[in-house]
Amino acid sequence: MNIELLLALVTGAALFGVGIYGALSQTNLVMIMMGVELILAAAMVNLVAFWRYLHPDAAAAQMFVLIVMTVMAIEMAVGFGVAIARFRAKGSVEMEEAAELKG
Amino acid sequence: MTTALVLLLLAAGAYLVAVLEAWTASGRFRLAAPVVAGIALLGRESIVPRKPDRIFFEVAPVLLLLSALLAAAVVPLTPDLIITDLATGALFINAALVYVLVALLMAGWGPNGAYAMIGGWRFLGQLIAYAMLIVMPITAVVMRAESLLTTQIVASQASLWNIIYQPLGFVLFFVAAMALAFLPPFDLPTAKGELAGGVEAEYGGVRLAVFRLGRLALIITLAAATVVFYLGGWQGPWLPPWAWSAIKILAVTATMLLAGHAMPRIREADLLGWCWKLGIPLALLNIFIVGILVLALP
Amino acid sequence: MSAQAFFIGFFGLASVWFGVVVFRTHSMMRSALALLFSQTALGALFLSMQAEFLGVLQIMMMATEMSIMAIFMVMFMMDPGGLGEMDMTHQKRLSLAAGFVAFAAAVAAAVFVDWGPVASVAPDAAQQTHDLGVELLGRSMLIFETAGITILTAMIAATAVAMPPVKRIRNK
Repeated sequence: MNIELLLALVTGAALFGVGIYGALSQTNLVMIMMGVELILAAAMVNLVAFWRYLHPDAAAAQMFVLIVMTVMAIEMAVGFGVAIARFRAKGSVEMEEAAELKG
Repeated sequence: MTTALVLLLLAAGAYLVAVLEAWTASGRFRLAAPVVAGIALLGRESIVPRKPDRIFFEVAPVLLLLSALLAAAVVPLTPDLIITDLATGALFINAALVYVLVALLMAGWGPNGAYAMIGGWRFLGQLIAYAMLIVMPITAVVMRAESLLTTQIVASQASLWNIIYQPLGFVLFFVAAMALAFLPPFDLPTAKGELAGGVEAEYGGVRLAVFRLGRLALIITLAAATVVFYLGGWQGPWLPPWAWSAIKILAVTATMLLAGHAMPRIREADLLGWCWKLGIPLALLNIFIVGILVLALP
Repeated sequence: MSAQAFFIGFFGLASVWFGVVVFRTHSMMRSALALLFSQTALGALFLSMQAEFLGVLQIMMMATEMSIMAIFMVMFMMDPGGLGEMDMTHQKRLSLAAGFVAFAAAVAAAVFVDWGPVASVAPDAAQQTHDLGVELLGRSMLIFETAGITILTAMIAATAVAMPPVKRIRNK
């Protein structure tokens, strides 16, 4: 077992845990998005670690990281669009007050 | 050794920028003025406002200086005089200069003052306007050089400087660089007259001195980057490379300072509108033209 | 322990610490900038794993993204400066448990899976950038273009959702 790979994967795991905690525990949409960003960041760490220590010659692994970055940007754009629409309609983006969206 | 030399040159450059800035603003050329102003600033009391966000307040001026220095680390002044020749140099300049925004946001939020905060958020809007106009012209430059190495970019201009090869890109980059360094007419975050200094308003003494020094280092770094990307870097006949670099950088700095001097300050909404509706299509056109040129003239 | 391991550990620790600070501070500005520094530390982590292009790109992209995050936080939170010390969390115990279980599961996977032989050298930075470019505009072009179209669609959709509803006046 390679110590560098292990350290990087543990970093990814810790970020993933923190992100899950944030996404579940926060009541505000923007804070939930921060949790999701951390989860995606954890995915990126793992991808880079796998590229570096398992497949350093596969450029496709680096491309996956670019895709994850794109996903992050899309998540921000759509999330903020929804946040603005919600804020305009109801005056807050608190998730406790959005129970009517449950359907 | 190289690092120390580059830092020394940057300090000298920042000093000359201060002299030039005072000259363009007041019309008087005084070599000693920055020393006097600096000593006066250092002697003054450095006030901390009530209920500040202390971390941001202290870190912001240092971060501004640091981001300018980091960007300067990949700018070659002569073939050998470069701190680190990163394989992603042209991208790294962007990455370092984005932290100017972070520093200004911190400086805006930290002191707990209305003018400062408005100045900080204004710069965020300004970034959304100019950011693409920094990145896209650099893309066209990199396309011609076929490398992200800054030394390689200079070498690619041996036959023809980029200012003639892609004049459109040069104009866009020049304007965007002025907006990045918040020089007039883009000095929205520090607007003297309407925001009473904006992000600088609550700073005084040593902290203000560091802030101003960071701003000067930012201007000289951007001028050096313009020279590297568009004016052929150290290349030129008769004179040694370092002399050409120095002459070009000072000329670009003086042009930047003089260009905006007579213009009225631009409105935030106008800046965003022009940059997105006019600037970005032009930048894409520039990339397209350069692409054709690269393919047609090997 | 190699220098690389030291730097990976250091930047990993920094990024996790800043990630925790995001949810521990009351000030929204600090929260957003803590996330920014968490991501910047990750960029440095990529650099210490010799993924130079990705590291620099991460450092560049996240600064803009998280600054925009900061202004939305200040706009939409009821207590942006954190001076009112409002509690903005719910189901705390469940979330802590879920976060911890996720962490433990991921660590277990990292430790117990046999990762096979580990490569000791990576291609140098210029080679990587070249390979990545060739990959993006060659074999993976469709994926990359799809990502581009998706982000354009997301931009338009987000703008459309965010625009205020316009009352249309019918002419005749």
